[in-house]
This record gives sequence, structure tokens and C-alpha cells, in this order.
Amino acid sequence: MAVVLFGLTVLLFVLLKTMPGDPARIMAGLGATPESIEVIRQRLGLYDPLYVQYWRLISGLFNGQLQAMTYHKPVWTVIVERLPATAELGVAAIILALFISIPAGLLSAIYRNSPLDYGVTTIALMGISIPVFWFALMLMLVLGVILHILPVSGRGETLFGWSFLTVDGLRHLIIPSVALSSVLMALNARLTRASMLEVMRQEYINTARAKGLRERVVLIKHAFRNALAPVVTNIGIQIGTIFAGAVLTETTTAWPGIGRLTVDSILRRDQSVVFGLALFMASCYMISYLLVDLLYAYIDPRITYD
Amino acid sequence: MTDNNRNAVLRDCVLSLLLPGLGHIVRGWWRKGLLFWLFLAAQGAVLYLAVLRGRLAWLAGPSEYWFSTMLLLLFFAILWGWALFDLRRLIRARDEESFVQGYWQIVARRFSKDPKGLVGLGIILIVCYVALFAPFISRGNALKMDLVNFLAPPAAEHPLGLDNFGRDVLDRIIFGSRVALGIGAVATLLNMVFGGFLGLIGGYFRGVPDALIMRILEIVNSIPFLVLALLIVSLWGAGIVTLIIVLGIFGLQPARIIRSEVLSVREEDYVLAARAVGAPTLRILTRHVLPNAIASLLVVTTMTIGVNIIVVAGLSFLGFGVRPPTPSWGAMLQEAQEFMRSAWWMAVYPGLCIIITVFGFNILGDSLRDVLDPRLK
Repeated sequence: MAVVLFGLTVLLFVLLKTMPGDPARIMAGLGATPESIEVIRQRLGLYDPLYVQYWRLISGLFNGQLQAMTYHKPVWTVIVERLPATAELGVAAIILALFISIPAGLLSAIYRNSPLDYGVTTIALMGISIPVFWFALMLMLVLGVILHILPVSGRGETLFGWSFLTVDGLRHLIIPSVALSSVLMALNARLTRASMLEVMRQEYINTARAKGLRERVVLIKHAFRNALAPVVTNIGIQIGTIFAGAVLTETTTAWPGIGRLTVDSILRRDQSVVFGLALFMASCYMISYLLVDLLYAYIDPRITYD
Repeated sequence: MTDNNRNAVLRDCVLSLLLPGLGHIVRGWWRKGLLFWLFLAAQGAVLYLAVLRGRLAWLAGPSEYWFSTMLLLLFFAILWGWALFDLRRLIRARDEESFVQGYWQIVARRFSKDPKGLVGLGIILIVCYVALFAPFISRGNALKMDLVNFLAPPAAEHPLGLDNFGRDVLDRIIFGSRVALGIGAVATLLNMVFGGFLGLIGGYFRGVPDALIMRILEIVNSIPFLVLALLIVSLWGAGIVTLIIVLGIFGLQPARIIRSEVLSVREEDYVLAARAVGAPTLRILTRHVLPNAIASLLVVTTMTIGVNIIVVAGLSFLGFGVRPPTPSWGAMLQEAQEFMRSAWWMAVYPGLCIIITVFGFNILGDSLRDVLDPRLK
């Protein structure tokens, strides 16, 4: 994990160094004199050897020395300010996705090859094929512009920086979270179905049936519980999908979270924020990956780690 | 019916040359014959449109016209040749008493019974047709602006409406299919060559190269692919070539799947046998390992094209993809965003096209997985 993170920072550093556009000029703003640009360049240390610059970038991220060029705040602060918006969006999307996809996948597996199964699998395949941003646009169009039920964009009122605590904020949250959850829903429904079918092939299901247990007990207590493990653990791996989806939905619905910050910073060529964001997303991914591994061992006692 | 003397065969071949598929129908292979006729009808329709709009061109004239014209002629040649060849093959196959079926014939027969895969293949073929013959099918208003009637709603002369510059949405969608399929296909090809190579090396040799490749994969995979692609495209400048290279090189997801497939194939007895008789590594890889991993390779390829189309659309939507005057579905959606309140048709139709195309690839991939790999049944 440490190796991967280190490799990633090096990759990002190389990429950022090749980024066209002079950061000093961006920081100085329009109408800056060459002298003032030179001063900023000195101050940023753009003439230092590369490894010094690299070290400054890394250490600056953690001790708050690294300034976002366009926000005049430490990068860390900029990211943390935007974090709640994306966090609640992501969590809402996951909850929504699980509440719909697990029952759907379960029913689809139980009534295999029935019209219900075909319906669920087709819709799930459809869900994978729908671009998140288009789905968000359509929700905005139908629910916001035509029916006037929900606000079209923005985050609405917030309480302590969270919008799900206010009614207005909650109404704003619906469209982006539904859009974001569409992919997760489709992925998890397919996964639940596949995992359930796999479990139902096992011998202990036959044993349970042979014991004369009621079908519902067999399905729920024996099959479903075991089928759930890969589904739950997979959510951790899907965090990359969530971030990518957040980039698109947040841009579409003007949701001021990390995804939108990513696009804005890339457009503004704000190298330090881009660097911080990429590292942040990668760390989230790796931490959730690790947690999933540990969780898996907890759920499935057959697996032990030395 | 089954007269196989020389004259009857000759007669049917002549019939097939007169009209592809006729020979099949005379011999009673209805489904195949009708399939040829369907193909012929599609070709005829495109030819009719081309003649109607006066866009047939032979090496002279705008390059996109003669490119499509040559393709059209090539397709006609393929149609005739294939019908004849297929008829001969079928007649010969019927002659022989024992007809051993190979793997691919079994696969083809199973595939022809799977409605899911057929629907997917149908969708993809239609989209490919539209993309290849876009200059004939569109009415030439993809770039022409009509600044009087801009944002006009769908009407008879422009079925899907006009956009904010008065360009025909339908024509732009037709030309957009070229961008989507072109980038999707070429990038996926690169993915397969590059990712397939890494997966093959890692899976077969294991040890140090494998560890190295897996670390690289982990590094690239740890940031969401869309963000990485955004970053790189913003560095290198947006454009079709950049998109293809970025998607092709950094879309390393297939490598992982191919690696796991190769890992299981390399333990098979025939690989061991090949190694025991002293076959060189390159030969083992190309003759024994690769052909046996091809099933999952095909499935991954199909699915990856769909994923790449969505990523390209997403990048274009964010303004990092195909440059504005070139029609592409994602960029059309980006423009549509501003005019949501006044022109819904700008947002709805390009999105539907993305969904239908990607859905086609996804169900084809799903069906291929069922068909190619009986173990999963």
C-alpha cells in the first residue's frame, strides 16, 4: 500500500510538472508585471531541484504549507471544506442503491428465469449503460423543469455544513444522489443475483431443504446471509466508481463537492489542489480496500490473515 | 430438394450470384437466405439515399463521400462473395456424411439461439452502419447553421429539432456515432493489445514481472479512471488522438482479467506437455495459452468498448473530450445543459443514443459470456 501510494505521488508529480501553463502566472493574476511573476516564481521555489519540489509538495500537503493557488488557502482546508457535500452524496447514493438493488437481486435469483428475473437483469444492464450525467440531466428536466417538484441544482440550505439536516437541503440532495446511485444499483443488483445463485448451488442449501425447513427460512437464513458477504464487501471497492460518478453528477447538478472541485481545479490549472485531490481519492480507495479485507474476514470466519 | 449433382449445384450458385441468398432459399435454408436479403435491403437503402442526395463519389469529391462510397461497394462485393462461399460450404457440408463440429460452430449455433446476444449484435450492426455511411444517411446539416430557426422544436424537416446554432440534432447524432464508435473501438483495441500483453506476461511468468505489473495496475487503478483521464487530457490538450491514447494506455482494467485467465490456463496439462517437449516460450504463449484465453478476451473486449464510449461521453460532457465543432454525443449533452429549459430535445436524444449503443455492447458481452463459456451455465 505504501509502495502504491509512493508510486502514485511520483506519477502525479511527473504529470503535474509536465502540465502546460505557468503556475506563477496563474497565481499572479491578469495584468501582472514580469517582475512580480518572477517574485512569485522564486517564492514557489520553481527553480529548486525536482526532488526538493517533490518533497515540498508532499510535506506541504500534510503540514498545511501547500497553498491552493486560486483559493489562497491550504490545499487540505479546501478539500476538507468540500468533503461533507460529497460524503453525504455518496452515502445517500449507497444507501439508496442497497435498499433497491439487494431485494431486486434477491428476488431475481429466487425466481430465476421468470419474467421478473428478465426484467431485473435487463434493467440492471440498462443501468450500467446509462451515463450518470445524462440521468442527472433527465431527472433535472423531468422533476425540476417540467414538474417543478424538486429544485434543479445547487445544495440548498445547510446546517453545520450538512444539507441532509434541513428540509431544503434534503430536497436538493434527491436528484444527484438518485443519479449517482443508478450505476451502483445496477452493479449491486447483478452482484447480488450472481452471488445468490452461487450460494443456492451449494450443498448446505440442499441439506437445509432436506431437513424440511420452510423455503423462506432456507432462502433468508441460509442462502441470503451468505450471499450478502461479497455484496457488502464490494461496496468498498466501488468507491472509485462513486468518486468518478460524483465528478460527473456534481458538475451536472452544481453540487459543490469534491468532484466539482476536481473539474474546477483542472480547468484552472491549480496543480496543488489537483495533486491533493488525486492523492485523497487514492487514499480513500486504499483505506476502504483495506477495511473491506478486514471486514471480509469478520463476516466469513473461514478466512484468516496471518 | 437435395439434388447434389453438378447441374443443380451450378444452378444454385448462379441463382446466388444473381441475388445473394436466393440459392440458400431454393435449397431450403430460409433463415440464412432472409438474412442475406436483409443485408441486401440495408445496402440498397443506403445506395438509394446516396444516389438521391447525389453523394456517390469515386475518388474525386470530398473525401468522406468517396470513403463511404468505396465502403459501400466493398460491402456489396463482400455480400455477393460471402453468399456464394457460404452456399458452397453448406452444400459440401451436407454432402459429407459425418460433420464434425468445431468449438466455434458450437458457439455460433448457441449464439443464434440466444435472443439477448442477437439483439445486442443487431443494435451494434445498425450503429456501425450509421457510422460508416453517415454522409449518405444524414442530410448534411450537421455543421450547417441556421441562425434564424435556432432551437426549433422537432418538426417534419428536422425530426429531432435544431440546436442552439440551428444545426440539425439528428444529423449531429448520426455523425456523432462515428466519434463514439471510432474512439471506443480503437481505444479498446489498444487496451487489448497493451493490457493483454501485460496480463499475459504477468500471468504466465509470475514472480518479479507479475509483481511489477500488478503494482503498476494498482497505482493506476487507485485513482478513479475518469479523474486520471481528465488530468491527462487536460495536460495533453483535448482531441480525438489524445483521447484514444489516454483510454488505450491507461485503461488497464482488462489486464487484470486476462492475467487471472492466463493464470488458470498455464496450469493446464497441455501447457505442461508443450513445455515438456521443449516448445519455445513464445510458441507456448501464442499457440497454447492465448487461444485458450480468447473466450474471456472477447467478452472483455465487448464490454470495454461500452465502457470506453461512456468515458468518452463523460469527458466530452465535461469539456475535455472531442473539440466543439466536431459532433459527438457527450459534447452535444454539454451544450444542451444550458438550454435545458427551452430545448429538451438537445439533451434527450444524444443521451438515448449513448444508452442504446452501450446497452448493445453490454448485452452482447453478457450473452457472449454465456455462450463462450459453458462452465458458467
